[in-house]
Amino acid sequence: MRPYILPIIYFFIILLLQNTVINLISINYIVPDLILILLVFYTIKNNQIYGMVLGFIFGFLFDIITGSLLGSSVISKTIAGFTAGYFSNENKRETYLNSYAFPLIVLLCGIIDSFVHAFFSSSNLNSDYMLNMLQQGIFPGMYTAAISVIVLLFRPKRSIR
Amino acid sequence: MFRFFSNIWDNYKEYFILVFLLIVGLILLSFNQKPGVKTARAVAFGTFASLSSMVTDVISVAQIKSDNTRLREKNAELMLQMNKLREFGIINEELKGLLKLKDTIKYPLIPAKIVSKSFSTSQNTITLLGGNSIGIKPGMPVINDQGLLGLIYSTSDDFSIARTLRNRDLKLTVKDERSRIDGIMKWNGEDLVMVDVPKTFDIKPGDRIITSELSSLISIPVPIGIVMELRKVDIGIFNEVRIKPFVNFSGADNAFVIGIVESKQKNQLELNFFNRK
Repeated sequence: MRPYILPIIYFFIILLLQNTVINLISINYIVPDLILILLVFYTIKNNQIYGMVLGFIFGFLFDIITGSLLGSSVISKTIAGFTAGYFSNENKRETYLNSYAFPLIVLLCGIIDSFVHAFFSSSNLNSDYMLNMLQQGIFPGMYTAAISVIVLLFRPKRSIR
Repeated sequence: MFRFFSNIWDNYKEYFILVFLLIVGLILLSFNQKPGVKTARAVAFGTFASLSSMVTDVISVAQIKSDNTRLREKNAELMLQMNKLREFGIINEELKGLLKLKDTIKYPLIPAKIVSKSFSTSQNTITLLGGNSIGIKPGMPVINDQGLLGLIYSTSDDFSIARTLRNRDLKLTVKDERSRIDGIMKWNGEDLVMVDVPKTFDIKPGDRIITSELSSLISIPVPIGIVMELRKVDIGIFNEVRIKPFVNFSGADNAFVIGIVESKQKNQLELNFFNRK
């Protein structure tokens, strides 16, 4: 449980920002998902199983605190953690975290996360809806990836433990 | 045998754990309406909202300047509008007196500050500073000066969560103010739409949409938005009406909760899922 304590503390700080400050930079109600950036960062830093469990915890806390459908973020963040886990190769870890590969990984995970979240929090399915979900996956994912570039630029040289 | 299972576990443990966590997630989806979950949610967001309100206070100070300019403009507009309404009011009273009508309806407004917003494409919610202690209950409508923001979904002692119109789980009975045609309005993930509107119904772009008295949730007329376009006009027997909401959800900082309690008879209706006491 110990390795999870620090990310969870960061989670609460970031959720606070996500629900207050980040709304100020929303574009047509699309906001970057800072929690996903944190999740991808810690998953690459550790491993796939860690990422999945952390995604599960983040999703559960997010659903409970924000009042969204309980379980929707749990599933989407777990899958996002699983996806990010494929990039937690020990040999390439530092490369992924310190290069522009990081925003691309965030983009991939962001699209998957938004897509899965939209799928589970929906009530009806039709062709337009599938198109909507694709749009809802791609735009938030792109915005999150763009913000993760800033995170990359301001990341301290000494890695966070 | 043990080695066999051990090998399988070593090779595929990530997938086993993923499946396990997803199953737990799916089980959680079915727990949404359980009273225990609602209580846990009320405690969690109540605690977190206290922190959010502190951060929001700091942000609010920075926003006060731009808000002031906007409010001054609004004030001037309202002053002109009030003058007009005063005139209308005098005529109205006169006419009502003639018809021996008595206007007894008063809507109690509970002011509440928005302390946090959760913007997601499908589950848009806002947290309000104010809960059970000041009389806010689940199912009460939330408005601001522009129109309907949403509906209270969950409350704790000092905070409450409201589902905004941009939430897929909020469906309302609305009507066209001009033609008095009713319909069901929902958020489809991209737009606010009135669905399954027969093509023969008289709804035109530019019409104002308000809540309908048929609604078991909000039966008083509250402005919602304006009709932008009719969709699916070439196919099927139903149109889809796209509505542009009056309210700017991202810019809303303050709100009012309408403290209306529907009649007991109405509350006992099966379709009214917010069974108030």
